[in-house]
Amino acid sequence: MKKRKIPALLVAICCFAALLQPVSAAVVSPGPSFYVYDGAQVLTEETEAYIIKTGQELQSKTGAQIVVVTIPSLEGQVLEEYATELFRQWGIGDAEKNNGILLLCAVEDRQFRVEVGYGLEGDLPDGKTGRMQDAYIIPLLKENQFDAGIRNGYSAFLQEVAAIYGVSVTGKAAVAYEEGEANPAIMYCMVIGVVLSSITSAVFLKKKKPKRTAAFWAIQGAQLVVMALILQSLIAAIWIAGVSLFVSVGLRSGGWRLRTFHTGRGFGDGGFGGGFSGGGFGGGFSGGGGRSGGGGSSRGF
Amino acid sequence: MKKGMIIAIVVGLVVILGIGLISANNKLVSMETEVDAAFANIDTNLQRRADLIPNLVNTVKGYAAHEQEAIDSVTKAREKLAGAATVEDMAEADSQLTAALNNLLVVVENYPDLKASANFTQLADELAGTENRIAVARRDYNDAVQSYNTAIRKFPTSIIANLFGFGQKDYFQASEGAQDVPEITF
Repeated sequence: MKKRKIPALLVAICCFAALLQPVSAAVVSPGPSFYVYDGAQVLTEETEAYIIKTGQELQSKTGAQIVVVTIPSLEGQVLEEYATELFRQWGIGDAEKNNGILLLCAVEDRQFRVEVGYGLEGDLPDGKTGRMQDAYIIPLLKENQFDAGIRNGYSAFLQEVAAIYGVSVTGKAAVAYEEGEANPAIMYCMVIGVVLSSITSAVFLKKKKPKRTAAFWAIQGAQLVVMALILQSLIAAIWIAGVSLFVSVGLRSGGWRLRTFHTGRGFGDGGFGGGFSGGGFGGGFSGGGGRSGGGGSSRGF
Repeated sequence: MKKGMIIAIVVGLVVILGIGLISANNKLVSMETEVDAAFANIDTNLQRRADLIPNLVNTVKGYAAHEQEAIDSVTKAREKLAGAATVEDMAEADSQLTAALNNLLVVVENYPDLKASANFTQLADELAGTENRIAVARRDYNDAVQSYNTAIRKFPTSIIANLFGFGQKDYFQASEGAQDVPEITF
């Protein structure tokens, strides 16, 4: 009786354990280049080389890792669960600092997620990752410019992490796609404002010698403010033009030389001289064992 | 000679048994600690979400003041969660709050100005992130509880568990129907 009972109990426990076994999501495995996995075939070789090179540089300077993964489809899995599972399996970021970032694009599902490791959650709260996605990635993905959008977003996060650690990493400029739209309207308003105010003051001047009334001073004041605003925007325009000239010249004159501006942080320092030789990624890279707890943000596009 | 051998064997057996007992006990202790840590993680994230809610409610009120019912059900669920004592109560209140929040987000769809506001986008991201963190923490906790519960039932650790009073832990699971929120009529 007793002899029979123990195996039966064991079998029961095993069954119980099997029943409770967590159904872990099947995620893709890292390739030899680790920093980028282009399962959906939407990235150019140039972008992949860029991500690998800068990713490696960031890792050696800070221990942080930024990984880009594209997959054709989630195959019915939940984006967030997939991202966390992949993040942990790959071990993105340092095991102690947990400073990894995953940029995951599910192309056919038209979903994008930025997953942030525990260690970077303080510097990159969910709201910020969402804003960065809205500014740097989603507008391009909406137009199916996967390569450009992902590269732009990667650059933005790369510079952000470099800034968090106070190091400089050679990377391309990240272009914010939101601010450009608002500017023309503001400019038009200003121009109209100036025209209107000069007409009014002209009318005033013609009628009679200007009395120093409150209305007169109000118009003068408004005019001054508008002039100041215009001057300001002019300076900004010149600045932007100068920067883009600098950027385009820099980019033309050789690969990765430039560490450019990003979200108004101003210029980074100098940049590296001759191009990198790359040096062949023989050994392949791997994760540092970082974990995430599901921080980050998701977007559909 | 013979006597000495027997004594040596007995002592050896006792030592082996003792080591086995200690290591089994230590294993259970560390598993229990893991469960507690995972639970603390859930708790932290629940608190984080509770802290976000007043801000969210105020933002929504600014644009959609007359959606009182949807707002109230969130506030009520939040209070209920704060008062939850057991794991089961907590899980139930948590899933009610999740449902109420989801409902609120659906209502918000009717207010494009609110949806487009930077403040709301930020809050919605933080909320979604925290929601996801809770889901991850819950999975981690349930995994830890599962291996702990399995360990204390498995032979021979089950003996140690009975001896030192390691009890079963509850899963973080809401009972069915907990997700039901009061109907909102438009």
